[in-house]
Order: sequence, then structure tokens, then C-alpha cells
Amino acid sequence: MEPILPPLKPIPIKDRISVLFVEKGQLDVLDGAFVLVDKNGVRTHIPVGGVACLMLEPGTRVSHAAAVLASRVGCLLVWVGEAGVRLYSAGQPGGARADRLLYQARLALDDAARLKVVRKMYTLRFKEEPPAKRSVEQLRGIEGARVRKMYDLIARQYRVSWKSRKYDSSEWGSGDIPNRCLSSATACLYGICEAAILAAGYAPAVGFIHTGKPQSFVYDIADIFKFETVVPVAFRIASRHPAQPERDVRLACRDMFRQTRLLHRIIPTIEEVLAAGEISIPKAHEEAVEVAIPNKEELGDAGHRG
Amino acid sequence: MLVIVVENAPPRLRGRLAVWLLEIRAGVYVGKYSRRIREMIWKQVQTGIDEGNAVIVWSTNTEAGFDFETLGPNRRIPLELDGVKLVSFLPLPASQESLEVEDEKM
Repeated sequence: MEPILPPLKPIPIKDRISVLFVEKGQLDVLDGAFVLVDKNGVRTHIPVGGVACLMLEPGTRVSHAAAVLASRVGCLLVWVGEAGVRLYSAGQPGGARADRLLYQARLALDDAARLKVVRKMYTLRFKEEPPAKRSVEQLRGIEGARVRKMYDLIARQYRVSWKSRKYDSSEWGSGDIPNRCLSSATACLYGICEAAILAAGYAPAVGFIHTGKPQSFVYDIADIFKFETVVPVAFRIASRHPAQPERDVRLACRDMFRQTRLLHRIIPTIEEVLAAGEISIPKAHEEAVEVAIPNKEELGDAGHRG
Repeated sequence: MLVIVVENAPPRLRGRLAVWLLEIRAGVYVGKYSRRIREMIWKQVQTGIDEGNAVIVWSTNTEAGFDFETLGPNRRIPLELDGVKLVSFLPLPASQESLEVEDEKM
């Protein structure tokens, strides 16, 4: 009898490459491998197990088997429009850890805890403590002014003419070059932040500074890293008047993610930010039914279903 | 780390590669050398490969942690996707595969 391979398991986010963009072709599974087949029959293997998130651009089709394989290895599939305007995402189901979700929800619902989490986010982001005795609302106002100043500063540093962060999410190509570069760069960052949040077992929709969007928490976490990683990259590329802004931005973002070891840092940062709320992860209630089959120690992150 | 794989290479090239690298399987050579030595060895492959084909892989500071280069005709072609290198596998020429493909489409 033929030997049977052991079942597939996700590996930690930090051991993966950040993002891969694919366009035009059919994503399928051949001999157990994830492949992109183009109309001429050329097959390209995509190492999904080693990628944090796969961005599917217009012109791609995904088979059922491909979605199953991506989910088994914990690769987030993100359907993006032109220039990374998000359409939909799946492939790495969230909500695998009830204890983490309850913990995150408790932190978000408790006003005192939420304020502590928000303060920690600003501390990490601006590298200094925000002024004491301010509400979340007041902090958001301070942040808004500061962000505009940072955009101005970085634009001046790279000699880019900059008016404001303005873009029409429904129409790509409407913005100026710096805004287009920024949209493209932030799309990459949001993708890996969402993959990391899901992998760590938290909910992308439960935000602390941002609320009301399916990716509120993604924006919260991405903002911590945004000005140190993708914003300078976007302005640097914009200053060169690129012929292919998206491609150049993605290449430069990839370098930046590697240099800053971003994938190693996201999950610990999420834990650090939430820990600032000073609430412990809830224990299971006493009358809870015990797990019949004990969970195995896995290679992947806590939120990976394995 | 440095790996060279040759297919259909003349014996003199294979002997030459074995001077610096360890042939762990037929046509598969491994070693660990600096960039300059790697380029010198790859030059020798380029000169001596004849009708055959070769690929060289080395660890480097890219996000994937390695990079590679190919030489000579092969159905596997490197494909660059925004800074990550993957490999495309070409289908067989129409004359050899047309019948099989037609069957699959039915």
C-alpha cells in the first residue's frame, strides 16, 4: 500500500513571506499543490503554506479545492480590486478561539480598559505617552492633527507635493500619484495585519480606536506600524514618478516588511496592546462541557485551526 | 548555502563542479561559498553546459531567503511576482499533448 502523508498543518505567521499578488488565471489544486493555471496551460506553483496572505486581483478564479487547501494551511485569501481596493476575504476562518474573542470583547466593552488599550496603541505609534486624562474622543482628535503633520513632514522629506490624504475607493486612478502609492501600500499592510489578527485568534471587526467596520481592529493594528513602514515607502516611490506605481510600491513594501521584521512583530504587538487593558484572558465557566478530544499542541499560531 | 542542479550536462562539467561542490545525488551539487566564488562557479557552468540545462540556488537576504538563476532550455521558467520569484511549468508542445487535452475538455 502507498504510504499516506500526514495531514496538513499551518505554520506560524512569522515564518512566512508577507504577501503575494496574483492576477489572471485559475487557482486550483494539482497533485496536492496550489497552482495558478493560465489560459495557455502554464502552471505556476504557489507555496500558499509559506505565505501570510494571497491577494487575488481581478482576472483570477478560485476552485473549491484551492479554497480548502488555503484554509488548511492558514493562508488568508483576499480578493482585491484594482490597486488593492478590497472586495472580500476568506480562506482563513477567524473566531477559532472563544477565549481570545471574549477577552477582546471584554476589553472593548469596558471603558476604562478600552482607554488603556487606546493609550498603549498611541504610545507604540508615536513613541511617547499621550497626554494624561484624555478621553478616547480627545485622543482621536490629537491623533488626527498629528497624522496630518506626519504626512506633510514625510512628503517634504521626499520632496513630494502633497495636499491631503484623499481617495475615492470606488474609482481607482482618480487620486494623485502619492495617494495611489499610499493606497497600494496600505492594502499590503492591511492584508498581513488581518492575517496576523486571525492567526492570533482575534476578531478583525472588534476595534478600539476604529469601530463599525469589518476590519476595524485591522486598521487599529496597521496604524501602529503605518508611519514607520509603508508611508515612507509610498512617498519615496511617488517621488520617483514611477511608470508602474503599484508594482514598485509592493516591491519596496516587501523590502520594508523584511527589514523591520514586521511579521515577527505583529502578533507580539497585538498581545502587548491588549495586555495594556489589564484584564486577564477569561477562564472557561465551571459548568462548561469539557473537550472530548484534547487539543493537540500545534506548530501554527493560536488562531490557526490546524 | 549554494545548490546547483544540472541535467544533461557533459561529464567534464560534472567533474569540474565536483572540484568545489559535493555531488549528493546525480547532478545535484551543494556547497557554501561567497558571492564571488559562486559567480566564478556559475561562469564555468555557463561555459560548459552545452545542450544541457542548469539551475543555481543560493541563500540570500531576500524575503524568501534565497534566490535562483537558470540556464538552458527547460519546461520550468522563473516568474517574478512583485519581488518574489516563483516557477512556471510550461505544458508540453501541442503536438504531444493535444489529444490528451482534447480528452480532458470533453
